[in-house]
Amino acid sequence: MSTATIDAHLLLRVAYTAFAAGVGASLVFSLTVYGVVRSSEMRREQRSVAAASYGLLGAIGLVLTVALIVFGLILLARKS
Amino acid sequence: MNGDIILVIVIVTALAFDLTNGFHDTANVVATAISTRAIAPKVAVAGASLLNFAGAFISLKVATTVGKGFVDTHAVTTTVVFAGLVGAIAWNIITWYFGLPSSSSHALIGGLVGSVAAASGFGAVNGDGLISNLIVPAIIAPILALLTAGVAILVTYRIVGKLRPGPTNRGFRLGQIASSSLLALSHGTNDAQKTMGVITLALVAHGNISATAFHVPTWVVVASASAISIGTFSGGWRIIRTLGTRIVKMDPAQGFAAQGAGAAVILAASSVGYPLSTTHVISGGIMGAGAGKRLSAVRWGVAGNIVAGWLVTLPAAAIFGGLVYAISSLFGHNAIGPLVISTVLLLALTAVFTRRAQQSTPAPAPS
Repeated sequence: MSTATIDAHLLLRVAYTAFAAGVGASLVFSLTVYGVVRSSEMRREQRSVAAASYGLLGAIGLVLTVALIVFGLILLARKS
Repeated sequence: MNGDIILVIVIVTALAFDLTNGFHDTANVVATAISTRAIAPKVAVAGASLLNFAGAFISLKVATTVGKGFVDTHAVTTTVVFAGLVGAIAWNIITWYFGLPSSSSHALIGGLVGSVAAASGFGAVNGDGLISNLIVPAIIAPILALLTAGVAILVTYRIVGKLRPGPTNRGFRLGQIASSSLLALSHGTNDAQKTMGVITLALVAHGNISATAFHVPTWVVVASASAISIGTFSGGWRIIRTLGTRIVKMDPAQGFAAQGAGAAVILAASSVGYPLSTTHVISGGIMGAGAGKRLSAVRWGVAGNIVAGWLVTLPAAAIFGGLVYAISSLFGHNAIGPLVISTVLLLALTAVFTRRAQQSTPAPAPS
């Protein structure tokens, strides 16, 4: 197998794009779940400032998750 | 007239192949979301069917790779494409009957390469294209999905590991609606395009499209998208019935990580035109998410079967494709060969399915 036949640059691009997208989606969605669950716990303990902070974290995580998915799909559609 | 008949047979066979692809792969796409109870089975299957249809319209790069990346388009005739398709179907049926691991995508390309080699010699096969666009991505993609899902689940557990499981699982079940949808979309994007590529190749061989201006006609996109979508929808009902025994136990966070990693790898590969075995990638994602929690939770025997599938499918389907071309040529270069082979294939399929159905029917209790 000659190295000239394999476009290593293209393969590497696919690898890091997929890795970043897959891990990134789990990371930002985990932050969403963490924020929402902790916010609910804080509300129950009547700690409104902490509840609002965690709520904000959850909201940011959700926005980032949606943005990541939409950005990925737009990128795919544009390239094709 | 002969060419027209063969073209019609090729298109019908290709769409039938696409339909069976959707039928088979329904389990891969929806199983994780159903097993974690993120989505009701009927909704999951119907949604996957629609998203497979939509996914087929996102990109055409894989179709172009399949159509002109592996063989010299000038060496391709409609009979060659027909022989390649039948070779792939024959290999798929044999592996299905004996329970051997296989990849429909690799079988399709292997069948095509074999029939082209039988018709015009190995000089008409693009070896560089096979290595760089099929074999290397086929090895890397499942490993990439495994690593991505493994790291993703480690990151997830690091963040949500100390939270109460009830609300955390509910959150990830909601997330699985998105990850499952993306996986179905990515499946449609990569798998439906393989059929588009083959049909377009047949249209080039028939003279409907110029080899120098290779493009996938809209009706081919719509027909391929519809076939894979109908296949996904029909396959789903069988999966729902057998669901309880076939699915590996996962928590919703693992399901999210596995599906997200699988979708990310398939979409990234589709964007540059790599035709992947979506089954291998999704299996890699599931194994990675399982290994992230506990290494012993992974059925490593399945991984071994997948590797065996990689090694055998391509050459075996190529041999079948070459054999079918040789048999078809015995009848001359007209429509008789493909008509005879289609009839024999249909009879063989009926016999195989009947035998399988009889074997799986329990014997009546003695009275």
